[in-house]
Amino acid sequence: MKKFHVLTTAVAAAAFLAGCGGSDAGDQSPRVAFTQMVNFGDSLSDVGSYDVGVVKLQGGGHFSINGAGATGLLYINWTEFLAATLKLTQPCAAETGLNTIQAAVGVPPVPATFHDTGAAPCLNYAQGGSRVTLQPGPGNAALFNPADPTTASNALGALTIPVHDQMQNYLDHNAGAFSPTALVTVLAGANDVFIQTATVSAEVAAGLPQDQAVAGAVAAMTTAADELANDVNTMILAKGAAHVVVVNVPDASLTPQAIQSGPAGQALTKLLLQTFNNELATKLQAGPSLLLVDAFTASEDQATNMAQYGLTDVKTPVCTTSSSLLCTHNTLIPAVAPAASGAVASAANTYEYADGVHPTPYGYRLLSELVGEAMAIKGWL
Amino acid sequence: MKKQSIASALVAAIAVCGAGAAHAQAAGNVLVQLGWNKIMPKVKSDDLTAPSLPGSQIDIKSASALFATVTYMITEDISVEALGGLPYKHTIVGAGAVSGVGKIGSIHQISPTLLLQYRFLAADGPFRPYVGAGPTFAKFYGTKGSAALTAVTNPGGPATTIGGDTEWGGTIQLGGNYKIDKHWFLDASVLKTWISTKATLSTGQSTSAKLDPVSINGSIGYTF
Repeated sequence: MKKFHVLTTAVAAAAFLAGCGGSDAGDQSPRVAFTQMVNFGDSLSDVGSYDVGVVKLQGGGHFSINGAGATGLLYINWTEFLAATLKLTQPCAAETGLNTIQAAVGVPPVPATFHDTGAAPCLNYAQGGSRVTLQPGPGNAALFNPADPTTASNALGALTIPVHDQMQNYLDHNAGAFSPTALVTVLAGANDVFIQTATVSAEVAAGLPQDQAVAGAVAAMTTAADELANDVNTMILAKGAAHVVVVNVPDASLTPQAIQSGPAGQALTKLLLQTFNNELATKLQAGPSLLLVDAFTASEDQATNMAQYGLTDVKTPVCTTSSSLLCTHNTLIPAVAPAASGAVASAANTYEYADGVHPTPYGYRLLSELVGEAMAIKGWL
Repeated sequence: MKKQSIASALVAAIAVCGAGAAHAQAAGNVLVQLGWNKIMPKVKSDDLTAPSLPGSQIDIKSASALFATVTYMITEDISVEALGGLPYKHTIVGAGAVSGVGKIGSIHQISPTLLLQYRFLAADGPFRPYVGAGPTFAKFYGTKGSAALTAVTNPGGPATTIGGDTEWGGTIQLGGNYKIDKHWFLDASVLKTWISTKATLSTGQSTSAKLDPVSINGSIGYTF
């Protein structure tokens, strides 16, 4: 009867086990035990390079809707969402400062200061307005002309340290190497596009034939992509980094700002973006340490299949400020403004754009999901 | 009768039936089997509902567990079999656009099945092939998520969990048993089940998946 006893025990055990067990979060550790994150790029990765002086006073600092939890989401920038996902400390700006033109803005400049050394170094070097190699970028005081009101926003004096210089600063301040357990992210190129589209407009207005002006811009974007790829290959991959995420430039021809420039402006923007992204993909040194994330294609899909991403509007900026750098829950369009003071502006979480070019926190969250998906497929998460 | 004190009502009934002498498979016989069953889901998953990254699908890997059956012979050819067993633990992996992410979670299930069977060949012969068909009830529970699942559904937020589900389906069976002596026999069968499940995430999205598993098993049985 021994077999019989085993059987009855098994049946009883099955009946018992069937009633137990619920939903469990499971193992939430990424497959790679990352120890730190280092970010290079522009406003899309900036977590507060200009969160000083007048910007800090106004509650700004991120290129999105500022204020922790303003929309009910826990973070604002995609690098912050990603850090939380990877169980890393939140990123902070490696270099802060503003070359504010006091005569125009009425507040003094704030000297550039590094925060990337010591026990808890800030290793997010990304700065709003940064180009790949060249100065000045959009927002830089060098582009301010008191006689031209369209240049007024440059009086704030963004540092716009080029991405190449950001990488050099990291190497200079961190013994010239990356940790193999560091996650390094690079997202740059959009500001080169903005500068080149402006250059084409200026050249055409000055009498240069359109096709010649465009050819010059395409050549400049090819050079920028070559330089960024070379920098990633020689200053990051060759310096010990084993987990490098390069995000290509989202389709900025679909932003509210580009739409405002009309079909010709959108077409030029798209041409320059594709030139840059394609060249970048060709010149980056592929391998187990490099992950290239196609944010360009994803951003186009978000615009055409909004509902799939929980979006209802991909054309209207929710901020009433001209740049989202100064945008808070107090400066939102009526459609998404919080119902009561102190309430969260959760309605903004179906909008893609905070201002003419920058995403809402929800838009950044979508980018972090895209990067997370690619990292999971790569085996890093 | 100490053994019976721990038995379920069903098993107790078997023991009562088992008091009679048994020879060939005959009307009124009760057969109990204990063995090992492998369930191999043939998953066709829908895309995860919005908001989500497009084309996110799931696949569910095979699992094995101890199983048991109790069969009552209505006639010498026609029988009713109750099939159950220990829970199966399946690994959930990404598919579709997230093919390659590897494990994104795990799920337990039990799927008791009731089968009406018909046996061929002579009732007192050594080998009797049979076919069966009947309903399957499946309970999905004991789910676990992962860092990857949270990263693509709620980055930086509370960890995403997967909700369980209960479903009915249908099963057909093809098998055979081989008599060792007047009580003991060996049995093997293949089952095809048509069943679906709907996994709902704590973040609100869900995905429906046809599981339609094929199961293979082998067991040792005793005729009362």
